Amino acid sequence: MLNWGNFSSQLFNGLVSGALLALISAGLTIIYGTLGVLNLAHGALFMLGGYAGFVAYQSTGSFVVAVVVGAVFVGLVGVILERVLIRFFYERPEEDQILVTFGLGIVLVEVVRAVFGSLTQNVPAPAWAAGVTSLGFMIYPTYRLLVFGIVAVALAALYLLLYRTRLGMVVRAGIEDPTMVDALGINIQRTFMIVFGIGAMAAGFAGIVNAPIISITPNVGDDILIECFVVVVIGGVGSFAGAIVGGVVAGEILSLTSMFNPSYSAVMLFAVMALVLVARPQGLFGTR
Amino acid sequence: MSYFEAERINSYYGDSHILFDVSLRVERHEVVALLGRNGAGKSTTLKTLMGIVRAKSGTIRIDGTSLEGQPPHFIARQGVQLVPEERRIFGALTVEENLVLAALSAPEAWPLDRIYAMLPRLHERRGSLGRELSGGEQQMLAIARALVREPKIILLDEPFEGLAPIVVRDLLAICERLAAEGQTIVIVEQNLAAALTLAHRAYVLNNGHIVFEGSTADLKQAPEITSRYLGI
Amino acid sequence: MVGRSLPGWLVAAILAAVLVVAPFVLPTIGANADMLSRILIWGIFGLGFDLIFGYTGLLSFGQSAFYGSGGFLAAYLLVSGKIGDVFLGLAVGTVGGALVGLVIGALALRRTGIYLAMITVAFGEMFFFLENSPLSAWTGGENGLPNVPKPAIHLGPIDFAFNTDWRMYGFIAAIYFLGFILARRIVNSPFGHILTAIRDNAPRARAVGHAVQRYKLAVFVIAAAYAGLAGGLEGVLQGYMAPDAFTFDTSGQLVMQTIIGGPATLFGPLIGAAVWLYLRSILQVVGFGPAWKLVLGLVFVVLIVFLRHGIVGGILQFAGRRTTPEAIPTSSGAQGLHLVERVAERPATRGDVVLEARGVGKRYGGIIANSDISFAVAEGEIRGIIGPNGAGKSTFFKMLTGEILPTAGRIFLFGKDITGNDVTAISQQGLSKSYQINQLFQKLTVRQNLNISALSRTRGKFRLDLIRHVDEVPELNADVAETLRLLSLTERADAPVSELAYGEKRRLEIGLALGTGPRILLLDEPLAGMSPQERADTVKLLKQIARGRTLVIVEHDMDALFGMADRITVFNEGHILAEGTPAEIQANPGVQEAYLGGVHAA
Repeated sequence: MLNWGNFSSQLFNGLVSGALLALISAGLTIIYGTLGVLNLAHGALFMLGGYAGFVAYQSTGSFVVAVVVGAVFVGLVGVILERVLIRFFYERPEEDQILVTFGLGIVLVEVVRAVFGSLTQNVPAPAWAAGVTSLGFMIYPTYRLLVFGIVAVALAALYLLLYRTRLGMVVRAGIEDPTMVDALGINIQRTFMIVFGIGAMAAGFAGIVNAPIISITPNVGDDILIECFVVVVIGGVGSFAGAIVGGVVAGEILSLTSMFNPSYSAVMLFAVMALVLVARPQGLFGTR
Repeated sequence: MSYFEAERINSYYGDSHILFDVSLRVERHEVVALLGRNGAGKSTTLKTLMGIVRAKSGTIRIDGTSLEGQPPHFIARQGVQLVPEERRIFGALTVEENLVLAALSAPEAWPLDRIYAMLPRLHERRGSLGRELSGGEQQMLAIARALVREPKIILLDEPFEGLAPIVVRDLLAICERLAAEGQTIVIVEQNLAAALTLAHRAYVLNNGHIVFEGSTADLKQAPEITSRYLGI
Repeated sequence: MVGRSLPGWLVAAILAAVLVVAPFVLPTIGANADMLSRILIWGIFGLGFDLIFGYTGLLSFGQSAFYGSGGFLAAYLLVSGKIGDVFLGLAVGTVGGALVGLVIGALALRRTGIYLAMITVAFGEMFFFLENSPLSAWTGGENGLPNVPKPAIHLGPIDFAFNTDWRMYGFIAAIYFLGFILARRIVNSPFGHILTAIRDNAPRARAVGHAVQRYKLAVFVIAAAYAGLAGGLEGVLQGYMAPDAFTFDTSGQLVMQTIIGGPATLFGPLIGAAVWLYLRSILQVVGFGPAWKLVLGLVFVVLIVFLRHGIVGGILQFAGRRTTPEAIPTSSGAQGLHLVERVAERPATRGDVVLEARGVGKRYGGIIANSDISFAVAEGEIRGIIGPNGAGKSTFFKMLTGEILPTAGRIFLFGKDITGNDVTAISQQGLSKSYQINQLFQKLTVRQNLNISALSRTRGKFRLDLIRHVDEVPELNADVAETLRLLSLTERADAPVSELAYGEKRRLEIGLALGTGPRILLLDEPLAGMSPQERADTVKLLKQIARGRTLVIVEHDMDALFGMADRITVFNEGHILAEGTPAEIQANPGVQEAYLGGVHAA
């Protein structure tokens, strides 16, 4: 009784949302792996990207500018937050780090609400990517294909950054042994700042890219944050590969189960997470 | 004024007082050994010199520049380089990446060819990940990371620990070559024979105090020192 | 926590007075019965949360799962008529919340720190979605459950319904009062003391003989019960059970209120709720309505950065109190048998092997840390272990205590095979270790530290003694007093660990191991970092402790060790190189070689 058209459409939806989740979770996991901080403000940063892009779009009418502004703005916010607040918490217990980023997330959401109100805002897909595309076996919204492409490119860029650049080399070494990196003449504090900025930027980028698909509200990042947790638990904390695989898996679970019963999809996702916790607590790729 | 000197260093781990007024000096091109039993404070001394452990009092100077209270990355940029015990090479990076990273912040870095010429084994293994190397190869890489930065002084912390005798022999030859070429070195080693082969002068630490300072010839003539503070 | 000098009955009386007076005073500043009732409900919710977070250090962001479960269970039973009595319905809801807590706790508490936070968030959300859809036939889905009845008492001539706002307030205030008294008893019980040890240094709590996972699960279930009760009360108060009981917001609000009011104070959550609800209504009145959460968010962040103990904690610190459980009064005299003497009464039959390793080895992949260790210690002996760096001494010690599993061989304690037993079990069986780097309970006083050890001796690895006061544990005070005397720490008994000098901390470190009443004491570099005077004092202490016990000491200070030990075992490169009396070892050329690396003084 499987509606083939519906199935393939949901499969693609799962890939698109999975790719987005992977990107956001990659940001979260890099921050945790390098700085050791679980950033509960990550969902708010995602939301902030949407709003920054929205403002840029309103004033320039260009979607491309909106995406750039969204990403860069949130990246800068990340850097500022790290310098002004987060770095004082590296020596403090883990619970305090969680609490301060949680509070930060609330503040960011409420500031946006104070400025923009609670109603949804609309960022339309660019005209050249609107409508649908025929893929032969099915018809699919063009913008979503574009999103998949952009996010795949972003993930690839992030991968290249981590594994093919000097900065990435420093970050990977810093994840392993920050003291030794410092003893080799590299200011590890500055690296932390850059990593937080990159992680934030990934979330902000995803936020504006996602905006035409789901309209933005101040609380749009809340569910995303929780889904990121599930991704990170499934994939393994601190693992870039884990974020990608976990993201796609989570996206597909949500998408495909919604075919049978939309109300069950979230429950299914959490059930899978519970299963991973029992069977393999460190996640698919985790080592800790 | 010596090339490298530390004066009246007092270091703590938390509130455990480990080093008591430790002073030492190293002249250019000298190899100085820092000896003592476990818990004597040898590693703590090197870590303090590198800024990884912060001294509560005392001064550290290289070539006239003050180093006390500075973070490790500043001290590294002044030409002090630590080869830590347990090597601490980056297991997730390749051999070459380890070397490139080490060279990043060095004012005058060695070209990789020069390192590979000196340590051909590393050239063979340059694409391997750090964690895939044997103990001896890791130690070689750790030393190479220090060399690549054209250091004014290398602090070697137990370079021969946990390695098979034949590997120790090879590494010792490398260290002898470095010394012959004029590299200034402070070496902490429990392997007394190896340490005394390399060093011109030696300090002996006991429970955080310096109890002997002199040439290695003098130390060899002082069995009461070696058996009391180094043996049992 | 409530000030040390305030006795329980006084706190109860003050609380009762505040609750009784509030309806007459607070309405003048704008608080009505409904708001006060809600504050109290958050207070009840928070009593449980403070137990797990403030006292045990478990940060859960998913308490809404239990709040909602208890609330909807009670509401469903009452609305559907399956249960007629509201009191009974609330009780069932409380139990329901506790059961859900048991299931989730068993899964979530396998992890700590960030994992625990993430897992509890996810479970909380899972329950929200369960409520919303699959179970909506029972829960009313998005609409919730209306028509939840008010409580009433029909007992003989009494026919009293809590059907006005102020009567509801009275009802809820009474429940809060009882809940507070119970929570306070839990905090002051031996169980409660162990919770604070877990928050401070869970591995050491485990190593001194407490089954930490069971304690965590037990307190988690208790917190879930409080949550379930609070949820049920919300339904009864509103006459309607709303689905937002299950949201992440609910869990988050609880966390924020507790931080604002002050964790580990028990009524911190109540203060936090008062601030939250009151501030919200005030801001709405002055026209800042939508910004109330922003203001509270900023307050929250500022408090975390600067005033981690919250409003109440800040006040208590200012007034000179400490946020620790009530200290035990120093009154107790010489009741009960003294610790040292009692052990010494056991006949010291020298010659009986009490601790033995046979062919023990440990390999990590290709690296062999220990190989083929055969080692036996006789009762009453002082055995020294020496060896160069990397010789495998620490690894061996960790296998003896159960911290590491051997990959080969077996270990016997008093003739019984203990290979593979965990640290807690081995500690309970009479073997204890003092660590090279101090592993103390940093936020507790000296006396409280020693209590933790002593409590595992008298109560075993787990006991659910929630109600009795820690004073009432027989012989606890006497034993601890004796240990304090032995350690020369009697004067410092009520000083927090942070104020101790290094030498005092090292002695306390030995005291923690000693307090479990071991027959065999392992000491890992007890003299590390000590000045010559401290060394001499510690050697004296160790000789005293050795009376009636067996000691195994790893040390690098040869002079000290050779002056104490009966026999010395020399480790080198993972195996045993030599064993004998100190004189024999000093004369052994192989040992000299291992240390001096082949150079003999010319």
